[in-house]
Amino acid sequence: MADLRINLAGIKSPNPFWLASAPPTNSGYQVQRAFEAGWGGAVWKTLGEPILNVSSRFAAVSYNGQRVAGFNNIELITDRPLEVNLQEIYETKKKFPNHAIIASLMVEPKQEKWHEIVKRVEDVGVDGLELNFGCPHGMAERGMGSASGQVPELVEKQTYWVKEAARTPVIVKLTPNITDITVTAEAATRGGADAVSMINTINSLAGVDLDSWNTIPHVAGKGAHGGYCGPAVKPIALNMVAECARNPLVNVPISGIGGISNWQDAAEFILMGATGVQVCTAAMHHGFSIVEDMIDGLNNYLDEKGLASVMDLVGRSVQRYSNWGDLDLNYKIVAEINNDVCINCNKCHIACEDTSHQCIDLYTEDGRPMLKVREEDCVGCNLCSIVCPVDGAISMVERPSTIPSMTWNERQSLLSSLSK
Amino acid sequence: MSEFQQSTEEIQKVDHYLDSGFKIKYVYENLSGMFVEFARQEEVTLLQILTADARKYFSAKLQEQTLLQ
Repeated sequence: MADLRINLAGIKSPNPFWLASAPPTNSGYQVQRAFEAGWGGAVWKTLGEPILNVSSRFAAVSYNGQRVAGFNNIELITDRPLEVNLQEIYETKKKFPNHAIIASLMVEPKQEKWHEIVKRVEDVGVDGLELNFGCPHGMAERGMGSASGQVPELVEKQTYWVKEAARTPVIVKLTPNITDITVTAEAATRGGADAVSMINTINSLAGVDLDSWNTIPHVAGKGAHGGYCGPAVKPIALNMVAECARNPLVNVPISGIGGISNWQDAAEFILMGATGVQVCTAAMHHGFSIVEDMIDGLNNYLDEKGLASVMDLVGRSVQRYSNWGDLDLNYKIVAEINNDVCINCNKCHIACEDTSHQCIDLYTEDGRPMLKVREEDCVGCNLCSIVCPVDGAISMVERPSTIPSMTWNERQSLLSSLSK
Repeated sequence: MSEFQQSTEEIQKVDHYLDSGFKIKYVYENLSGMFVEFARQEEVTLLQILTADARKYFSAKLQEQTLLQ
């Protein structure tokens, strides 16, 4: 059994699975149920001046039978008074002293506002703070959330104000609604953040009802943009985590968030530099008990890899993430079709013929339809293996290059030595 | 002509010049591909390389020439 305990910037938790600040962490009742189910930590639903919500609030995008491939919400931060939340945080921490409780905070970008809420929240014994500079809807219209998280100077300044008052580690939660998230991650680091977390939700409109022409969701016939999350956003989040992890100016731990639905997703984020992960949509879809499989799966994986601790997995793939210009132009893979497994649906042929490099030939052998890749024309794009519905029918195999490896950057440097 | 055949022909031309004692003297690239000046004493010839594989091959040959210099 591997050691699943993590230490994220001084915040200790029995495993790397935290619930993200969201509807699942709205109350002590919910967070205590989550801890009983096995979650290692919880980021309490964002505290601030109690807001008013609307009905309805959520929408999901299903794709080809996959329910909740993406999830959209227009719910705001907590609608409960600070005292009520603080009392429940205090009681929950007392019952679960070894679990991590992090308070998500959002106030106006004013020094005294941050000082006040930090002091009051820390007095009830939270293990850390997470500054919500990411929420894209509603609160952003009031100058908070992503509105301040999109301005590096405001991220730095507000982080600095919080650090003036904070005694517990400060995590800055970043918005993905920005061109380059490393810019705001660097700003948070300059402001003194002990860690960063990402991603918050992505600006979204889940859909339009083709009968009523209302937005989905709508509130009495009107809609507003929401925040998108769930499995569909995972690749976007994973890239942002990786870009921060490999940036030397973002030299703080990362809490990974964005479409994490199982232990495999979690392991990918950890490999790409996250010390721990936060989950919301998967818990909203399937309930708190999903953490059991996450814990078992990660444990088994670490054992298989011969790692004694999950902390040994953190960042192990970061060095493999590079700039395009540093990739080997002469590395060669090609598709190989196993006609014994192939069901002759011809999806690979159609995809290659219509949208790639026209290198999969149809032919017959003893009256049997066959497919073959012309390796000399195959560019190794992967498309045929992506569209193939049968496991093992198409493999991408390495072919030794006849010329030495060379990156684009090396090539350009070489060519420039001969330019006039 | 398939792209493979085209690149094979271009690679053969590069090899032909280099095997004939030409050196790569000057290279430039533009929207039409890569243009290479091969020189042997006073003799200069220009080769346009269109295909991606041949341009990769040429880069490897240029690296070889650079390392030998």
